[in-house]
Parts: sequence; structure tokens; C-alpha cells
Amino acid sequence: MRPDDKRYFARIEDRLDEAWAVAEAAKEQGRDPEPEIEIPVARDMADRVENILGIDGVAVRVRELEGQMSREEAALELVKDFVDGSVGDYDSREGKVEGAVRTAVALLTEGVVAAPIEGIDRVELLENDDGTEFINVYYAGPIRSAGGTAQALSVLVADYARALLGIDEYKPRDVEVERYAEEIALYDTETGLQYTPKDKESKFIAKHIPIMLDGEATSDEEVSGFRDLERVDTNSARGGMCLVAAEGIALKAPKIQRYTRNLDEVDWPWLQDLIDGTIGRDGVGDGDDASDADDDAAAAGDDGDPAEAADPDVSAVDEQHTEPAGPPRAESAQKFLRDLIAGRPVFTHPSEAGGFRLRYGRARNHGFATGGVHPATMHIVDDFLAAGTQIKTERPGKAHGVVPVDSIDGPTVRLANGEVRQIDDPEEAKAIRNGIEKVLDLGEYLVNYGEFIENNHALAPASYVYEWWVQEFEAAGADVQALSDDPGVDLEHPSVEAALEWAEAYDCPLHPEYTYLWHDISVQAFETLADAVADGDVVEGVLAIERTETTREALEALLVEHAATPDALRIPTWRPLARSLGVDDGLRKTWAADDLSADAREWDGGDNAVRAVAEVAPFEIRERAPTRIGNRMGRPEKSESRDLSPAVHTLFPITEAGGPQRDVAEAANVMDDTGRRGRLEVEVADRVCPDCGEHTYRALCPDCETHTDLHYECGQCGTVCEPDEAGRVVCPRCEWEVTAANRREIDVHDAYHSAMEAVGERESAFEILKGVQGLTSRNKTPEPIEKGVLRAKNGVTSFKDGTVRYDMTDLPVTAVRPEELDVTADHFRELGYETDIDGEPLRHDDQLVELKVQDIVLSDGAAEHMLKTADFVDDLLAQFYGLDRFYEVNERDDLVGELVFGMAPHTSAATVGRVVGFTSAAVGYAHPYFHAAKRRNCDGDEDCVMLLMDGLLNFSKTFLPDQRGGRMDAPLVMSSRIDPAEIDDEAHNVDIVREYPVELYEATLEMADPESVEELIQIGEDTLGTDDEYHGFDHTHDTTDIAMGPDLSAYKTLGDMMEKMDAQLELARKLRAVDETDVAERVIEYHFLPDIIGNLRAFSRQETRCLDCGEKYRRMPLSGDCRECGGRVNLTVHEGSVSKYVDTAIEVADRFGCRPYTKQRLQVLDDSLESIFEDDTNKQSGIADFM
Amino acid sequence: MPLESNARIVKELAARGYNAEREAVTLLANESDPAAAIDAAVDVAPDNALRITADHVRTIARDRSPDPTDVGNQSSAQNDSESARNDVSADQSPVEMEGSTTHTDRDGEPARSSHSGSEQPPEAVSSDSSLSASTSESSVSPNEPPAPPDKPPSSSESARELAQREISVGNDMTGRSTGTGEYADFVRTFRDRYERLSKLLRGRVNHRPADAIADMPGGSDAAMIGLVNDVRSTKSGHWLVELEDTTGTFPALIMKDKGLADVVDEILMDECLAVEGTLADDAGILFADSLHFPDVPRTHQTGAADRHVQAALISDVHVGSDEFMADAWSRFTDWLHTPEAEPVEYLLLAGDMVEGVGVYPDQDEELEIVDIYDQYEAFAEYLKEVPADTEIVMIPGNHDAVRLAEPQPGFNDEIRSIMDVHDAQIVSNPATVTVEGVDVLMYHGVSLDEVIAELPEAKASYDEPHKAMYQLLKKRHVAPQFGGHTRVAPEERDYLVIDNVPDVFHTGHVHKLGWGKYHNVLAVNSGCWQAQTDFQKSVNIDPDAGYAPILDLDTLDMTVRKFT
Repeated sequence: MRPDDKRYFARIEDRLDEAWAVAEAAKEQGRDPEPEIEIPVARDMADRVENILGIDGVAVRVRELEGQMSREEAALELVKDFVDGSVGDYDSREGKVEGAVRTAVALLTEGVVAAPIEGIDRVELLENDDGTEFINVYYAGPIRSAGGTAQALSVLVADYARALLGIDEYKPRDVEVERYAEEIALYDTETGLQYTPKDKESKFIAKHIPIMLDGEATSDEEVSGFRDLERVDTNSARGGMCLVAAEGIALKAPKIQRYTRNLDEVDWPWLQDLIDGTIGRDGVGDGDDASDADDDAAAAGDDGDPAEAADPDVSAVDEQHTEPAGPPRAESAQKFLRDLIAGRPVFTHPSEAGGFRLRYGRARNHGFATGGVHPATMHIVDDFLAAGTQIKTERPGKAHGVVPVDSIDGPTVRLANGEVRQIDDPEEAKAIRNGIEKVLDLGEYLVNYGEFIENNHALAPASYVYEWWVQEFEAAGADVQALSDDPGVDLEHPSVEAALEWAEAYDCPLHPEYTYLWHDISVQAFETLADAVADGDVVEGVLAIERTETTREALEALLVEHAATPDALRIPTWRPLARSLGVDDGLRKTWAADDLSADAREWDGGDNAVRAVAEVAPFEIRERAPTRIGNRMGRPEKSESRDLSPAVHTLFPITEAGGPQRDVAEAANVMDDTGRRGRLEVEVADRVCPDCGEHTYRALCPDCETHTDLHYECGQCGTVCEPDEAGRVVCPRCEWEVTAANRREIDVHDAYHSAMEAVGERESAFEILKGVQGLTSRNKTPEPIEKGVLRAKNGVTSFKDGTVRYDMTDLPVTAVRPEELDVTADHFRELGYETDIDGEPLRHDDQLVELKVQDIVLSDGAAEHMLKTADFVDDLLAQFYGLDRFYEVNERDDLVGELVFGMAPHTSAATVGRVVGFTSAAVGYAHPYFHAAKRRNCDGDEDCVMLLMDGLLNFSKTFLPDQRGGRMDAPLVMSSRIDPAEIDDEAHNVDIVREYPVELYEATLEMADPESVEELIQIGEDTLGTDDEYHGFDHTHDTTDIAMGPDLSAYKTLGDMMEKMDAQLELARKLRAVDETDVAERVIEYHFLPDIIGNLRAFSRQETRCLDCGEKYRRMPLSGDCRECGGRVNLTVHEGSVSKYVDTAIEVADRFGCRPYTKQRLQVLDDSLESIFEDDTNKQSGIADFM
Repeated sequence: MPLESNARIVKELAARGYNAEREAVTLLANESDPAAAIDAAVDVAPDNALRITADHVRTIARDRSPDPTDVGNQSSAQNDSESARNDVSADQSPVEMEGSTTHTDRDGEPARSSHSGSEQPPEAVSSDSSLSASTSESSVSPNEPPAPPDKPPSSSESARELAQREISVGNDMTGRSTGTGEYADFVRTFRDRYERLSKLLRGRVNHRPADAIADMPGGSDAAMIGLVNDVRSTKSGHWLVELEDTTGTFPALIMKDKGLADVVDEILMDECLAVEGTLADDAGILFADSLHFPDVPRTHQTGAADRHVQAALISDVHVGSDEFMADAWSRFTDWLHTPEAEPVEYLLLAGDMVEGVGVYPDQDEELEIVDIYDQYEAFAEYLKEVPADTEIVMIPGNHDAVRLAEPQPGFNDEIRSIMDVHDAQIVSNPATVTVEGVDVLMYHGVSLDEVIAELPEAKASYDEPHKAMYQLLKKRHVAPQFGGHTRVAPEERDYLVIDNVPDVFHTGHVHKLGWGKYHNVLAVNSGCWQAQTDFQKSVNIDPDAGYAPILDLDTLDMTVRKFT
């Protein structure tokens, strides 16, 4: 680690220590459920694992083992420790197995995700039919977040422990084997699996696996055969089990085998059959399946087979020709269009001309599952794209987060007056967008090389771009250095003269600036255009050619800028075009029709004029945009505070007395029969004062101000119990779990008013203080109302664990300008930044600086929310704990340098980050490693930030819901520093170079495996463990500002669904690369029809609800009225919600010419609705009915 | 040997200027060389004859095939069966005996004896291969036996005497759907259910309303009739059944040692039950001693036609599906043209005429005919193969182009006009069709899925769909459970209540063949005309395709014929 990095981490840790000291002092007062900070600091992965699991001694052992072996081997090594009792404090054999399995999963997930605690419910010892014992591992849904490898290894670990403990193998009954197969298939149809094992495979696994995989039901859908089995306690699909069997064992068999080989005690010879793919697979394509299963990238599903033949498009017959009859092209894939929904437009149909053109490169705000789009394009697509908007893509992965990059080509459009122009300026885009008749081309789409590595996707042919040309130019002998130093020469955007001269003088392909999209016009159009140009006139330097359908379409497809008059097309920059067409400057055509070879004419069936150009042009011309990437909008970007629904200020129970708003003031005023106010019967914790023995629900004894302890009294026999070492409380007599919660009357009126008094606030300080109906935690310890009062006062609300959170879409950034973050170079210097990316001293606000790994950029909304949170925390410290204010913020600049927690859903570890600036984009920009430390990538994922001190003071495990998944999304531990080796390895595939080698571009034309050029391009992985692991993240493309383009996607600014859909269809009409009929068809198929059908089904089997008391009835009461309160009962699904889309859908189907099949489905549904919602005997069919 | 379809023979004869007797056509079709036989028959026929009769054909047949030994046996068996049938119908007392309760599997052990009392062997009655011999294989055997002596050829016209036909439909709600999807409509529907079903139980227990029971002193004897609001088992292994009437709900505890455990398994939500027992000391719960279902009385007297006439009970044709078995269907309709099928004057079709559109995702990929109207057109074409003078009654199913929610009205005018073949009657699902005195309750059968899923396998399974039907008869409701699988459209009354006990209960939907008698009611789930689909393969359902149960309306005996 470089001294610079050391200083950086020390700086963060100092601030953390500072905050820690304050929080510790506050917590010691005992006003909180626990008198200590509940988010322990983990300095490394071992710490995290130990803290998440709560098993002492794991960290030490993990650190010992880590130096010697891989993590997987360490997990297996730890099994021995658990079995002989040197790690963990388990007496029972099943306990030892459980500890070992949990630890293994935690290790393999780097102690970040919640799978080890939430995904494994328990391990049991059960009996085989022959009387021997076997191990049953009981999985739960959250095991999903562990990923296949860890899931599979958990079984191996359990088996290893089993073998060491001398327990027998699981001997499944035949019905159980059958059940596995049926259940896995059911789960796949219900929820979907990444890999679906064939029935035979499932049975094979079930038959051979030495451990019984079991789990809790995760859905309501039940199996139809093999029900009510003795050893399977549910008839529903057990999601956890299905995941482990399918995505774990079946998919990761090769990985497990690697480890079984090294273990003498464990022998899984049957894995070989799985790996060979001889189980349940017959016929063609065997080998492919198996090798797919091999690589982790199988997730992509549409691996876009890098067909080895140069041309996947042509049929086998054609391939027998000596020459390939068409250019190399990545195969088009439809998958991303699935589940298209209303209001989220398609931008490019699969590989369609006019769509996004693939350009290789990584911008500074790019990589890690993102796609770079020109900000002008974002505006041109009616603002549907903004920074952070997710798009589903055709390749290389499944989805990308969109980032604005203005150093690539913008869109080309045709205006209403016939003019065709390329737009490279977002302001221009905004100015002219109302006049756009057709979007001829969406511009370039920047994808970094690392994406192809990550997705193991064959390289797709690259667009011909400046970066590539300049390397060829240099190789051709040009003195690029001299030219770039020449102020009269613009290498990237040269003049026509320079470009033509270079092409001819150096025998180098024509500069991309003047390379047109010849592959998008037919040979016939090419000839017609050549003749038209030869017949044209040059007037004042502008070429005018005859305007015909063919010439216009050809120029539009080529993306040649021009203006139009009723009978002419006027092309200002015409010489490169004419030359390419084999027409010289004197407008003389230098070739005759016979000169074109048969090969050129038949190239790609005559639809592609590239070979024709090659034959007639006086210089080489490369394909400008051979790969178009289909994509559509996924979910919109997000930047908003995380509120429970309804919002909650304090985790204090007020039953239903608070009304639907859960208003504490209202609850405090409710009068009971005896005229007392605010006496509510609630379930709360019973706590006892260790000093005076007083019972209370409060954390602080009201009499002697001592911190109280939970009091566990068995509800059956009254025995007072103590928690055991694992934290479980079991009544020794009744043998069941005891909680401290009990139902009793509390005085909410007093609690509310004394809380306001305690913090010196009046009711007027806030609009409303919202509590909760009841507590969902095990022991139901309420939060002090005082905290809620101060939250309400400062306008923030609480999440279920007591923290204040703000959600943002994740985007990566590796270099920033202080200016774009609305801060100054001074701010940055204070934060420890000294130089810019070129090593120059940091002086100016617009210098580009490499971002440090834990520094993050808040969206404007997040900054505002953090300011409020800071005020709340300061008030809390001052008015509740009686300590000094900590943040003292006045404006948002004051937040610069403050620490926050970043934390992703389904994980249990927070990562400490430092605020360095702000952006108007509705996203959270941070270093890719920061996102990866939280286990996120940037393909539209979102997660939250919390203010550090808020987390330290207000988070408590005691608030967490006592249910499956309750501990997910809670900061059970924090990482104070990022170790690049311990983050999600996806981030290691981000490339960090300034320039891609020419070999990459050439490899793309071969559609080579991305690994073939890996040596030449440095990626994050290459610097791991070196001094450079924290810096040196270079990029190939700059962008003016990371917040360019619209601040919010139109999806979020448009009104209702209809408005969004209209905009979506309108855009579909406008984009050349989109087939609007297909869009309409898909919207109906994937959105409207399922909605109508679903609601219709829901209608005819719905629940009803009392409008007055809210009581729900599975079926309408025969009395008609509410049986509880006599109130009015009504339906929960009304006609309106069933039929809301029908008319629109029918209208859209008509307007866009959808298939009769679709129209008929709508017609049948419309008839059904009429049949249900209209009285046959009372139809007014015409005016005659009224006469 | 090419299978000559009867229709083709008729066409051929028509081309030569002849009409033909049905029986003659059959005989011709069974000739080893029908074309030659036609030539011969035409030669034999007198010059002035307008129709080719069976006699003509027999004349030539005798010359053409000299060795009918095997077939002779078969024919005598058939004769026996014919006469047996006649005996029974003459007897006019088709009372079901012991044997009926043991009716079991179609290819199973104790083949069901259809002739109550008579010790006849179960020849053509069960759906065994013996009958496929008389149908599909019949074209292979060189010769068809001469017609039974008691059925002279000339009777063929008079047997299908239209004047004797009698058909009426009850409970049809087509065109009478008055519900508008309001809360009140639902309440009305369930109240109607309660009122009509509770009437059936009132005679059996001394019913008190829920609110009255709540006021009774602890320890009193009490009984309540109500819709099941909730059933759950308690920790100690007893069951808690909550019943609801128009005054409220009251819980009944069914102790595990009361011997009612077996019955508790059968309880479905929202069916109507009576519980009799003793109130707990605190009067908060009723300890059940007995439990009553509305049920079908064991004394149920069935109606019967007063002549020998039959009805074919089929369902689930699924025209338009890739898997529709056109060949089997044509064999069936060909058979309907044979003399053997002469008494089959009625065809009752229990839904799923076509495969439909949008029934499941990506269905269009498995459709032979994608256009829904074309599907009905095609169905109508197939229906035309049925003899023109057959009376047809159809109800819609879940694949048809009507609402899925039950009751389902019988199609809109556009589709009706397409299926306007043979003047078929199209009525709602469910509906009761009374055919010459025999009440046939027709219901498509969507609720069977749920009954099979909820009840233990011994009581209802896909292999024995009729047992699931028994449950519905017992509950006197075709789809009791609300809120689950079955969809309900609220109407002014609950059309799904089985008000009057039918003589025959006919369903389809599950594509499995099964039949049996329950308290004298014949429950038939007809198979289907669709081969195993990919979906069925995936869930391991092996459909019974290409069977036609043929019901004797005079005796209520049933024969299942196989056409695959």
C-alpha cells in the first residue's frame, strides 16, 4: 500500500473513531435497547464473517488459514475445527455441522451478504429407514444471495462434517427422489432458475446426495404429486432447497469436484456424470450445455454464440463457398425484449440499423455493467434516458446502467424540413427536438472491454472509430505525435482535405469522421447513388443531387448530413462521399457497372455495399458500425428517501388508535371507557431494572435511570429464563422459546408528552409524529419516542431498524472534476487530493482527479436528506443525550468529508464511505470498488446511504423483525476500509487503461474470445495485491460532466401509465431502429393482457374488507355487513381495476396493426368483462331502447 | 389397408346416383376392398333402386368372403348383449345393485357389470379392447356380421323417430347474467347458496342460527347449518370448523376420536354443512357429534327413456390444438353412422369445443389454428360429421371463448352462428339437460382440479375423476370453494348449486375417463379428443383420449367406446 493510500484510510478511520467516541458516550447512558454501539467495525473479511455469524474465534482462524490456502479450502479446513470443538461452542453434532456450514457460506460470500444467517435455518439429525442417522440441512429463500458456488459448497461442507462426525449418509426414499424432481420443476416455472436441471438430473442428484436438502416453503403453489411426505413438512416448493440443488449442485458440479478430490473422507463420484452431462441429456447439443454450465457466465443465457464460422447469418449451403458471403456479425438476440411493459420504450430492436452502434471504450464514469450514451441521444429519445436509467441490452450482458458520455458520436436525425444532421451537443438536441421527424441513428453506445470479459461474451465487431484509426495511421507511418502537436491539425476531427490526403498518402483507411455506413445500403442503392452524384452539380461548394426515394434513403442510411429541397438533396461535405462512390472531384464516375465483381454484388445477398465501395473507392474504407446493440428501458433511475409505508418516525407501538396515519398524538388522546386518555393495550417488551427491580418497557428505568434488562418470563409456567450463549431463550420446563414481549396496557399519552418535554420540543415543532401499529421484533422493545419527535421535527423518517436511509441508483466513476461535483479544488485538497490524473498539482476546479475508493458523490436529493439527518443527529445528541452537536452543518458543503454507510439490500454489512461532492444526476456515483464492496454492480441496482452517526446511534438489532429475512438489509457489521481482494470479483474485470491496443479492434472482427487479448489490456484484477490496487484507474474516454443529459427520465416526469405508454409508442414511431407494431404487440402481450387477466382472476376470487374497521373476509359475509363492527363491507378488486386497460389495449392493437391473435384475445377478454359486469337483461343496445 | 371413411363411401355412392342405408355404408366400409364392394353393390342393386340397402351389400359380401368364424363369435356375443339390453329396458327397473359400488377401473379388475342383476359377462360394456375390436379394428376384419335378427334393417328409419325425442334444459343462465360485479351481487349469490342448500339439511337437524346458539347456555345440545368459513386443525390434532349463516359465525370442534376424522378430510371451504353436538360449558364452541352433508338421498329414483335410445357423452374436443385427434374423432363420427350406433340420437358435449386463444402463455405456438373464429369454424366442420339428425347439446368450458368465471353463459351470438350445425343447443355451464326423462347435469369440471388437490388421494384423484364428482354430488354444489382455483361470477342466484338430484352427472376438463355410480347417480367424466400435450407431459398426466361413453337412456347403463 502506498503511503498516500495509508494516509487516506487513516483519515477515514480517524473520523470514524471520532464519531465512535461520541456515539459510545451516548449509548453508555443506557437510553437505547443496548448500552453499546451495535454495528461492530470489521477491518477485514475475517472480522466480518465472525461478526455476522456471532461465532467467536472464527476470525482468528480464518486469518491463519487465509495466507495458506484459498477461501474454499479454508472453509473446508474450518470444518475440522468445528467438529473437534476448537472453534465455536457447540455441544450437539447438528450444532457443529450448522456452525461449519454457516461459516463456509459466510466465508465464500466475504461476510457481506445475509445468506449465512438468513439462508440456512437449521441443521437437523434425522433417521434413515434403516435406523442410521443422517444430516438434514434446512435452507431458506435468502440462500439465493450466496450464489451457486457457495450454495454448492455448503452441501459439501455439511457432508465433510458428517463424515468426520461419523454420521451416515442420507438414504432417500423413492417418493422423496420424485418429489425433488417435481418440486424443482415447479419452482422453476413459478420463480425461475438460472439453470433448470432436467427431471432426470434432479432425481440423480437427489438419489446420490449424501445430505438431505430441505427447507421452508417459499411460495403458495403446491406440488401435485408426491404430497404429504413424512420427512418433507410442506407441499409447497422449498425455494432454498431448489436453489441449492439446481444452481448449486447441478450448475457448479465441476467446482465442487475440485474440492472433493482433495478430501479423503468425502467421495462424490457421481459428480462426474453430472459434469459429463450424461444425465438426462440426450441428443444434440450435449457438449454445449455442459461447457456452458462450466463457466460462471452462464447467467447471460443469451451467450450470443460466437459462431466460429465468419458468418452466422448465412446458411450452411453458403458456407461451402470458398469466400464467406457476408461480413462477420454478432448474432442478434431477442431476449432483452421479453416482458416489455407499458411506458418503457424500446430504443433499438435486435441488431437493427439505425440503433445504437457499439463502440469500445471506458469513460471515466463507466464500466461495471454500464453503457455510455451521448447526452444528446438522451434528449432525442424524449428524455427517456437519464444518468442511471437501467436499460436491458442485447449484449454483452443483460442490463446496463446508462451513463452520459459526450466524447462519442451523437444521434443523427431528419428534421421536418428534410434536413439530416448529426447532433453532438445536448443543447442543440433540446433546441431542435420538436422538429425531429425521424431519428435515423441513435449514435454510439460505449461499452468497455471488461464487460465482455465479465460476461464471457465473444467480442462483437467494433465500429471504426478515431482510437482505432489513429493507431492504424501511426502504423502506416504517419507522425501522429507531430500532427497532434500541430495547432492547425485536428486529428480527431480533421478537415476533408486532410482526411482525404492522409487516406491516399499513407495507404491508411479513410478517417472514421468521413466513413459512412456503407454496410447499411444495398449494392443497387450504391450504384444509384453513384450515378446521382455523378449527375449532380456543385454550386458554391455544395453538391446538389436529384432527390428520389432511393437517393434520400441511401443518404439517410449512410448518415451523410444534407439539406433537402423539393427536388434536390444538397450535400455540403460531399467529396469523401463522392470519392467513396468512385466519383472524382470533377463528378466523373470512374467505373462502369461491369467493373463491380460478382463477389461485391452478392456480398451479404446484395444488401451490403461494403465490397462495392472497396472496389471503386481509391482508399480503404472500414465498416463504420458493424454492430448495433438492441436495448430497451428497464427500470428508471432512483434517488429518494427510503420510507416505510406508511412512513414511520418512531418505532413505538400505538395499535390502531393512531388511525390510518398512525398518528401518535391521536393515539395519545384516545379516551377509553373510564375516561383515561392514551391507555393502549400493546405488546411490548418486559424489562426489569437491575437496581430497583421495577418493570418497564423503557430502556431506562423511570425511577433510578438505570439501563434495564429484558425480562424473560415463560408465559406458561411463569419461570424466569435467561438467554443461552447462542442468544436463544428456552424455558427449561416447557421447552419452548420464550420472548420478553407481553401484552399490557401502557400510557401512551404520558409517554408522548414526557418525551416532548424531555427533548424540549412542543407539538408545533412538527406536523405529525407517526408511530407503528405494533412491533415485529422478537422481544418488541420500543424505541424512545424522543427520537421520533426529533425525526419528525427534522423531516426524516425511520427504516425498520431505526436508521434514516436514502436510496440511489449506483453508478461508477473513477475520475472527477471538483467543479462538476459543485465543490472546489480547495475542498478536494482538504480531503487529501493533491494531484490530477496526469500528476499535475491540483489547482483548478476543472482538473480531472482520480477518485479514491471509498469516496462517493451524493445526488442533490441525497445531500438534502443527509443535511436533515445531520440536523436530526445533532438535535438528538444535544437534546436527548445531552452531548455536543457533532455535525453542525449549515449548507451542503459542510457534508464534504463526512462519512456515511453504504449498504445494499440482501446484505448485512455496511461499507463506510466519504462524501466528496454532489451531482444533479439522480444517482449515487462512487468508485466501482465501493459498489462492489457492497455487492452491487451498476446495471440499474440501487442501494442506500445512511449518515454514519445516525447508524451508530440509532441502529439496533433488537428492532429487527423476527421473521425470515429480518436481518437482511441491516448493518450487522461495517467495513471501515475496502480490501480490493475481498470485494465482488466482478469489479476486477473493469479495465483501467487509457488506450485499447489495435489488436483488440482486430480481434473483434474475428469475433474472438475476449480472453485472447486480455494480456494486452490491464484490468482491475491485474493490480490486485500490488501497491497499485487502489489507484491507476485510467479511462479511454472523457465526458464533460457526469451529470449531463436529463436529470430525470421522462418515465418519472410523465403522468399516468397511459401518458407514459403514449410517449413510448410515439417514440417507437420516431426511431428508425424500432418496429412500433412489435412494441405495441409486446406491451399488450406482456403488460396489458397479464394485467387484465390477473385482475379478472383476482376479481372472481377476491377477499373483501370492511370499510370501517378494516377487517378482511376471505369470502363475502352472508350477513352482508361486517361481522366485527357491523360496518360496510366492500370488494377489494373492483370493476375499475379489472377493466382499466381494456379499451386502451384494444385501441392500441388497432392503431398499430397487431396480430389477429392478440386482437382476439383482447376481444375474448372484453366479452368476459361485459359478461361479468353488465346485466344481460338491461343492455341499452341502441336509441330504440329509449323511444 | 386404407381405412375407408363412411363419408367417403356415401360420397362415392352419391356420385353414382345412389342414396345409401346407414347399415349398408358400414358394411361397405368393412369390406376388404370397399371400392370393389361398391362396384359390386351397385351391380347387384336393381336398376330402378334409388338406395343401396344392407341386403344388397350382404348379397355381395356373402360371395366375397367365405370364412366368418371368428367374427361369428363376436356377433353372437353382441346379439346376447343386445338382447340383454332389451331385457332390461323391457323390465323398466334399472335399479342399481351391489355391483355398482364396486365399479372401478376401466382396464381394471372387477370390470363393471352394467346389467344389474343379470349375470351377463361384461362384454361390450366396459371400455376394454373388446370394443375397440368392434370399432376401429372392425375395419380390419374382413366381414361384419349380419345385423341382429331383432333389428331388421327397415327399422333404421323408425328408430330415429324424431317425434319421440324429448329434450329440455334447466338452470341455463345464458342471456340471463344479471350480475354487475357489485359486492351485493356476491352476497346475493352466497345467500342463495345458503338458503337452497340449508333447506336440504333442515329436516335432518334442529338448526339454530349462529347468534341464537351464542346465547344458549353452556352444555346444551345444538345444531347449526352454515357455509364453511374456516377449517383448521388444532395443535392437539382436533379440527376446528367455523360455520357461517346469515346471522354470524360459530365454531365447532371436531374431536379426533369422534370417528369423524375421515369426513373432515372432505370438507371444502364454503360448502354447506350441518353440525350437531353439545355446547361447551362456556357456550363458546360446539363439540360436534355428527356432521351432515346435503348429499344425494340413497333412495334417489332415476328417470328413464321409454324406448331404447342412447346418448354419447363427450367433452374436451380441443379443435385447433396441434394435439387434436382428428382421426379418432372421424372414427367416432364414422361409427355414429353405423347401425350399431343407430340408437345414439343424442350427443352431449361438456365443454372445450376448441383449444381457444390465450388460455396459457405462448399458446399460439402450439395452435394448429390460431384464429379463434377459425377454430370454431373447424369445430363446426367436425360436428358436421355427426349424423345430421343427432340432437346435440353443448356447454362451454375453460378453453372456450366465454368468460372463465362460473357460471359460464353459452357463447355470444357470433360464435353461436358459427356453430350453427345440426341445430345444436348451446347452454350455460353448468346446466341440466333432460333427455327423454333422464336428467343429465352437465358441468365442464374446472372445480375437479381443486377437489383433487384438496382431498386425500383415496377420495379424489386424476385416475378416478368420478370419485371427485361424488364429492360434488355429496356437497350438492359443482364448485363449492371460493377464493381458490375456481372463479365465481356473482349472479342473482347460485347457478352452481345442484338443486335437483340429476340421474347422470357429466363432466370433462381433467381429460381422464372415469365413471361410477354414487347413490344411484351415474357420474361420468368423459375423456378428451386431444393427445398428450407438452404441459401434460411435464406434469405427468396421461390423458384418456378418443373415448366416447355411450349411455343407454332407458337403462342408464353405459358403454365406453374407444376410437384410437
